[in-house]
Amino acid sequence: MAMEITSILLAAQSQDGQIRTVAEGNLKQFQEQNLPHFLLALSIELSNEQKPPESRRLAGILLKNSLDAKDSIRKEELAQKWISVDLTIKFQVKESLLKTLGSSVSEARRTSSQVIAKVASIEIPRREWQDLIAKLLNNMTQKDSLPSLKEATLETLGYVCEEISPEDLEQDQVNAILTAVVQGMNQMEHSFEVRLAGIKALYNALDFAQTNFQNEIERNYLMKVVCETAVSKESNVRQAAFECLVSIASTYYELLGPYMETLFNLTASAVRGDEEPVALQAIEFWSTICDEEITIQEEHAGPADGSSSQHYRFIEKALPLLVPMLLETLLKQEEDQDQDDNIWNLSMAGGTCLGLVARNVGDAVVPLVMPFVQDNITKADWRNREAATFAFGSILEGPSVETLLPLVHAGLNFLLNAMKDQNTHVKDTTAWALGRIFEILHSPSSTYAVITNANLPQIMSVLLESIRDVPNVAEKVCGAIYFLVQGYEDDGSASSVLTPYLADAISALLSTADRMDTNNSRLRASAYETVNEIVRCSSQPESLNMIAHLMHEIMKRLSQTLELQISSSEDKENQSDLQALLCGVLQVIIQKLSSSDAKSVILQSADQMMILFLRVFGCRSSSVHEEAMLAIGALAYATGPEFAKYMPEFYNYLEMGLQNFEEYQVCSISVGVVGDICRALDEKILPFCNGIMSALLKDLSNSMLHRSVKPPIFSCFGDIALAIGEQFEKYLPYAVSMLQGAAGLCTYLDVNDEDMVDYGNQLRRGIFEAYSGILQGFKNSKAELLVPYASQLLQFTEAVFKDKNRDEGVTRAAVAMLGDLADTLGPNTKLLFRDCTFHSDFLGECFESDDEQLKETATWTQGMIRRVLVS
Amino acid sequence: MADEEAALSPPLSHRRDPIKSSVHNTAAHRRRQQAIAVGKERRESLIRAKRLCRDTVIDGSESPFEGDMIIDEEKEALDSKTSQTVLELKSAIAFQGKGATQKKVEILRVLRRLLSQSEVPPIEAALQAGAVPLLVQCLSFGSSDEQLLEAAWCLTNIAAGEPEHTKSLLPSLPMLIAHLGEKSSTPVAEQCAWAVGNVAGEGEELRNILLAQGALFPLARLMMSNKGSTSRTSSWALSNLIKGPDPKAANELIRVDGLLDAIVWHLKKADDELATEVAWVIVYLSALSEKATSLLVKSDVVRLLVGRLVASESLQMLIPVLRSLGNLVASDSYMIDVVLIVGHTITDELLSGLIKCLKSEHRVLKKEASWVLSNIAAGSLEHKRLIYSSEATPLLINFLSSAPFDIRKEAAFTLGNLCVAPPKNNEQPGIIVVHLVSLIDSGCLPGFLNLIRSADIESARLGLQFLELVMRGLPNGEGPKLVEREDGIEAMERFQFHENEEMRNMANTLVDKYFGEDYGLE
Repeated sequence: MAMEITSILLAAQSQDGQIRTVAEGNLKQFQEQNLPHFLLALSIELSNEQKPPESRRLAGILLKNSLDAKDSIRKEELAQKWISVDLTIKFQVKESLLKTLGSSVSEARRTSSQVIAKVASIEIPRREWQDLIAKLLNNMTQKDSLPSLKEATLETLGYVCEEISPEDLEQDQVNAILTAVVQGMNQMEHSFEVRLAGIKALYNALDFAQTNFQNEIERNYLMKVVCETAVSKESNVRQAAFECLVSIASTYYELLGPYMETLFNLTASAVRGDEEPVALQAIEFWSTICDEEITIQEEHAGPADGSSSQHYRFIEKALPLLVPMLLETLLKQEEDQDQDDNIWNLSMAGGTCLGLVARNVGDAVVPLVMPFVQDNITKADWRNREAATFAFGSILEGPSVETLLPLVHAGLNFLLNAMKDQNTHVKDTTAWALGRIFEILHSPSSTYAVITNANLPQIMSVLLESIRDVPNVAEKVCGAIYFLVQGYEDDGSASSVLTPYLADAISALLSTADRMDTNNSRLRASAYETVNEIVRCSSQPESLNMIAHLMHEIMKRLSQTLELQISSSEDKENQSDLQALLCGVLQVIIQKLSSSDAKSVILQSADQMMILFLRVFGCRSSSVHEEAMLAIGALAYATGPEFAKYMPEFYNYLEMGLQNFEEYQVCSISVGVVGDICRALDEKILPFCNGIMSALLKDLSNSMLHRSVKPPIFSCFGDIALAIGEQFEKYLPYAVSMLQGAAGLCTYLDVNDEDMVDYGNQLRRGIFEAYSGILQGFKNSKAELLVPYASQLLQFTEAVFKDKNRDEGVTRAAVAMLGDLADTLGPNTKLLFRDCTFHSDFLGECFESDDEQLKETATWTQGMIRRVLVS
Repeated sequence: MADEEAALSPPLSHRRDPIKSSVHNTAAHRRRQQAIAVGKERRESLIRAKRLCRDTVIDGSESPFEGDMIIDEEKEALDSKTSQTVLELKSAIAFQGKGATQKKVEILRVLRRLLSQSEVPPIEAALQAGAVPLLVQCLSFGSSDEQLLEAAWCLTNIAAGEPEHTKSLLPSLPMLIAHLGEKSSTPVAEQCAWAVGNVAGEGEELRNILLAQGALFPLARLMMSNKGSTSRTSSWALSNLIKGPDPKAANELIRVDGLLDAIVWHLKKADDELATEVAWVIVYLSALSEKATSLLVKSDVVRLLVGRLVASESLQMLIPVLRSLGNLVASDSYMIDVVLIVGHTITDELLSGLIKCLKSEHRVLKKEASWVLSNIAAGSLEHKRLIYSSEATPLLINFLSSAPFDIRKEAAFTLGNLCVAPPKNNEQPGIIVVHLVSLIDSGCLPGFLNLIRSADIESARLGLQFLELVMRGLPNGEGPKLVEREDGIEAMERFQFHENEEMRNMANTLVDKYFGEDYGLE
């Protein structure tokens, strides 16, 4: 057998496709027919020093894939299979793995340490393999252990800590791990590889060290070791040490006080003199401190619930030294850095950190930054001018409007002129800074408006001029226009001030979108998104003609995409991206016009648009699916019952969208579109309901579908029931069983996991919306069908009422559903409502709320319940 | 196998989003979120509209929550908006320039929406601002259909309010009735019928005024319309109009040419909603007009009513159908003698329809069906046998012991009738001994004794009559003994000094006759 598997493993990596396929089939068969021996054979292969590295490599990968998967359900299945393997075989496999840590082949060692961690993640929470840690520590203490074994052992410890959670280990095990790890970091004794593995293992073990960090002596020791490691002679060890410090900053913020001076010196010298990857982590340390303190400030600003952490104001205290250090980094730009949207270098990290500092301390940052701005902004070297502008732009969020406005008033003209600077980097950053000013400070109704009737012509003329600059500058200009327009959104009267410029702006943006001098799709996307913002914020009815005109132009462009020559996957992608953007513009236009008196503009072109969308669907691409779906949802709302004529053709694509569980955003948006169509068509949607309901029910039972789609599906049940009324009867048992299942699931979600709490709330809200729709749908006939569910529904509502993580959205949906229940079932629910008393407490809570709509709903519900109680 | 090589080493480097980023990422995300949020908002507003447009919530006087204050504030805002709108209407009427008509219609529409908006519509505010005379002006001849429709709609909403609100429509009635006429467009006529129906529903006084102003004939004509909603609304308005108690209107209505045909036609073809309203018209015709009854029983109406009774499950529909049938059976012997002959299909169908109603959950249906049955049970020997041997008897026996009082009484009437032979030449009614014995065996006596103890004279009389049957009719003189065992004597002695002479005599005579000096001596 052993011989055989070697050759199969090698064959599975053959260049010859046929040989490979056969070998893969054999392996799969082996796995399915005899998993225990398959695992054993693989582990023996991995541990056997006589075997070729290639077969050992694949053996390791297959082992790992037999124990772990990305999908959580599959992962659980694999864990169950491993658990059911015979104990002696499991023992042999684990021994082989531990043995492999001593291999001379580094790849085998690494694979083995990862597989050990996977096995540990299954077994240790079950209180099995309790001697693992001891065995690993033994490797560290044995005098004759090779450095390679120590390195592999430390790596294994790191991975194990990453895989399991702190409560799975006893404190003495944690202590032993930390001791081993810290010893491994000893400069004197160990090689570079061992020390690197040690510091990385410490990084993973930090979460386990809660108790140790609470103890001052142990904490002092751990901090000393990490700080010493941060000045090791090898840069990747130093980098790993700073990564540890970053993690300590977020995990043990409240314990850092005594070390801050040391840490400042350490980070400052790294920022000033170390290699970039190390310096970046040193800056990251301060950004992380900012994150912590901003979170604490937000908690303090919110309702005092007693759980707020203490604010040590480390940033405020370090400010006079920290800010100059960050300002220095701004001068360390790279040439051509503006070409890449995701650039991450010293200057970018420094500016980002400076922005966080400004949000953290507010006004106090301004006097420390402004002299730097004034000194540098007129200097001859572009680096000085760019850094000055970047510094100014970075501190616009945080300080008070009163402090910033005089500076902005004084500097705005300068910035507008700087859009003609001879250096592109300077222009790029200037346009970005203008955008930040508009985003944060521009509000036409405030007393000291940044943009006035007097300077608006100049601003617009500079922006429309600069949008023709090089692509990266043009892109930042799009952003500036975007935020400028957005500032006028809620200001009906002032937006007409803007109206005269909009047609020119749109035409400039459309030309920008057409530019051929860049292959970067960012510019095009920014241009179209800015067009969207103009449409969204424009004032009616004066912009109506302009938007109607734009609509026809975009339709023309969309139809042109259908004619594009497609000869490569790149062409295909380009076509899809463009279609997505254009569908996006149409969606915004439809939405804008359908809520106005100008709906007729949409209705006149509805047929044509729908034909375009259907043809776009014909091109098949998920991103287009998403945007075209959204546009169609908007169109359905605009056309109302007329939409029925598009259904026969559109339905196929809708169904495809609903079935697309792999790309869950598409699925989710399609579900939303079903709701739009229900509202547009009412009972005319009936002929399509069988298909839609089957697809939705299938989605709900699909474990591969991203969970975020499930709450919208429940709400969608409500939409359908509301549209087709009593015709929903045939789906009722299926829908209710899904709803009851989900209601049951809500009680099992982890209340300590914020994401799960959030998901639970979405789920509950979806469930209530479903029942509301169903109750309302059956109100006029067949209400009696729902009587059997009333009692359970009240129990569920009571459980939700008592749930302390319940959010406002859930409250609103729950209270409304109570009213619907009383309204629809009437006297049938009299005894139920009389027997449970929570509803009056629940309503009482709602009347205390500041949310007017909630109070109104609660009042209605109260009336409905009273009517039942006196019936 | 290459694709199975998941990344083996975890990334270990902190990265965050740069402060200087491009706008398109966040913008596109934000736009999509907005598009999705719009859908959610629309869902909420749709369902909110459905909830809040419901019929009025009962006004609980207890627990004045903060919520009520909010309603007060809203109400205030609504009231002032309404007064404002009425004032605008006034100036729009005065204004005669270009676009005046359109302007008026727009204001009327706003007013109409205000008046239909909330649970407590701002009717008072509209009236105080002087809406009615203005609306009457808007109803003047030659106005556009749109204007007429909106004005009539406003008036309909006002008429739906409190009694004094309804009365305030008085000055508008002649115009509303005028627009019921043949020259009006259907929607306008229908809306006016609705307003008139609301007014007619208010009370006898307003009904008489409407009748005097000639509302009956045009409504009857509208009822013959082919348009479902029009004939439904006018049927409803008519049923309100002929409610009586004066039978004059009902007598007049049945004389309208083609009305009976329209009733037959609608019962034959119409949907449940229209048929329901038509059935209500029949209820009042048959309750108030002998002329109408004699025409109805000879028409196809009875067969059609029975058909509806058997086919429908709608409570709304079954109530007027049952009541119509009951009225017809009770007031015209033609029904029993000629129409509902035992052995005819129609009779069996009627009985099965009634049994269905007896089995229903709804108390009203049980009561109405028992009442119809009691009338049929008063018919011929064959009718009695038919009912006796049907599923109805055990149901009625059960009612007698456990149903609410009003149903119990109707059941007792029926059961009593089943035991009495049809009267011949003023003799004391004969007894159908088989029925009587079996009812007694089923334990009916306590039920009737309970009726005797009731404060309701009619029920007590019914109980006494049944007691008399028992004592006279049970073979072997078992009757008096049984009555004594069941505390019947005590029940009868309650009437010894009763203020009602008839009852006193009846009870005393019975006690004397069956428990007099000779009782107990064999």
